[in-house]
Amino acid sequence: MAMTAATAEPASADRPARKMPDRTFWLLAPGVIWMVLFLVVPILMMVYVSFWTQTTFAITPTLTIKSWVMFFSSDTYLSALWTTIRIWLIVLAATLIVGYPAALFVGLFVRNKTVQTVLLVLCVIPFWTSFLIRVLAWRPMLGKEGAINLILQGVGLINKPIEVLLFSELSVIIGMTQIYCVFMVGPIAFMMGRIDQSVIEAAQDLGAGFWRIFRTIILPLSMPGVVVGAIFVSVMVLGEFATSAALSGRKVNLLGNIIVTQVGSLKWAFAAVAGVILTILMGIVVAALLRVVDLRKEL
Amino acid sequence: MQASGTKLALGIYTTLFLVFLYGPMVVLAILSFQTGPEGGPQFPIIEWSTYWYKHLFGMTPPTRIAPLPIEEALVRSLVLAVMTMIVSTVLGVTSAQAFRKKFAGSGFAFYLIVLGMMVPGVLVGLGMALIANALGIDRHWWGTTFVLHVVYTYPFAFLVMLAILNRFDQNVEEASWSLGVSPMKTFRKVTFPLIFPGVLSAMLFAFTLSYDEFSRTLFASGRDLTLPLAIYGTFSVEVHPNVFAFGVLTTLFSFALLGTYAALMMLSIRRARRVAIQEEA
Repeated sequence: MAMTAATAEPASADRPARKMPDRTFWLLAPGVIWMVLFLVVPILMMVYVSFWTQTTFAITPTLTIKSWVMFFSSDTYLSALWTTIRIWLIVLAATLIVGYPAALFVGLFVRNKTVQTVLLVLCVIPFWTSFLIRVLAWRPMLGKEGAINLILQGVGLINKPIEVLLFSELSVIIGMTQIYCVFMVGPIAFMMGRIDQSVIEAAQDLGAGFWRIFRTIILPLSMPGVVVGAIFVSVMVLGEFATSAALSGRKVNLLGNIIVTQVGSLKWAFAAVAGVILTILMGIVVAALLRVVDLRKEL
Repeated sequence: MQASGTKLALGIYTTLFLVFLYGPMVVLAILSFQTGPEGGPQFPIIEWSTYWYKHLFGMTPPTRIAPLPIEEALVRSLVLAVMTMIVSTVLGVTSAQAFRKKFAGSGFAFYLIVLGMMVPGVLVGLGMALIANALGIDRHWWGTTFVLHVVYTYPFAFLVMLAILNRFDQNVEEASWSLGVSPMKTFRKVTFPLIFPGVLSAMLFAFTLSYDEFSRTLFASGRDLTLPLAIYGTFSVEVHPNVFAFGVLTTLFSFALLGTYAALMMLSIRRARRVAIQEEA
């Protein structure tokens, strides 16, 4: 019960004008307590453990910054940090470039409501299927004897298979782009659908060409969608490790992969340091994206 | 928009986009019908067969290719998904109910809940593993993993319910109360039918997301594998078409869930429409 009181504290902070009614409190308490115990506490624990002392197979709660020094003086960890940032930027750009035209078509050009709904549903269905299977599905596509190489050879575009397609950084980027572009398409198409068609028609009547309309009306009005999509994609790509493990043949090591290996070898403190750095990175990215567009004003 | 040239170009692009989205899955499905046990996970298809599907169910003579350890994993994944679904739907409905009245600190509570779907699995998973390690608790799929699955799916349920309740006319409920109907009965007869589509959506989100959830599970579960962990185990070794066959089946299962959901939604919308017509008459 002490826990209940503690978590309710910030909620009833600006009393007495609108004190939380009893009913609201009891409805809200279970969910808030759950999130504090199993979301906030684990993250705080991660920060705490990153300052613990790591010995070969155990950690002791004696505070030290050794693990942090170790992280920033190790080439492996630093290069994982750069790889993470590089892959994130490339995938973010790729999902935007690949997804935006599709969202433009679905959200703005399709006038028939039924067709629009069907297309939107087709775009989001992969979200409800197994993530790992979608990653795995790229193996027979990209391999030396994979579908893409076979098709390209069949058409006569290339004479010998492109080997760099699988087990390289490129395969990780292709895989992630396909998996995460739906998170870009959804929010952008949603914002497109809210654009008032009569504004565009008015611009057309006044003689504006497509590019002019796109630059001055469509692009600015779809920006909140782009920002929401970018937040989703960024957070997920930065926290990735499975796609790089499955498609890069251990050549691409992201911060996520470092965490998995460190946990595997019981180096808890190092894993925690990598986790905290990842959290900080995400915080910076999300804060920066929210700077671009004031979501609360736009939505 | 009426620029027909642009529209055609974008239409073709969107078609290609859908091919990009679904192509790998189609190729995977085709290759799952490769002959076995000598056929590999690539083209050409030597001979069409359902060998790998039989292999999955242990109906083939044993070979050097070990069967996927899916039997118990499937049961665990389903039980976990049902547990997660029940708890996160209940939490989602109750917290969304709380948000129907303005209260101090609602912004804080809102962001705290939504944070659960934003924080990547690798971070909460690691945090939970650290806590379990420090406290000396054993990690299990029904314990540490389960609570993390709820952390992930409860925000979805919450947001869906919030969207439904925002459009919900409170006068209907108040009318019921003022007519002397008990709060329990009002909830059953008035509130619940109105929020049913939301509850259904919340359940769909929670079940499917938990069933496919991987990164949280990897860190927070002990020795017993769930389905995604069993699949992940095959990544490090040579991939055989049996994993493809499993991929096809689990995707079909997801589609069946989506189909059931769509059918139930359609029924509920039709019933709502019928009631509306009766009221008008």
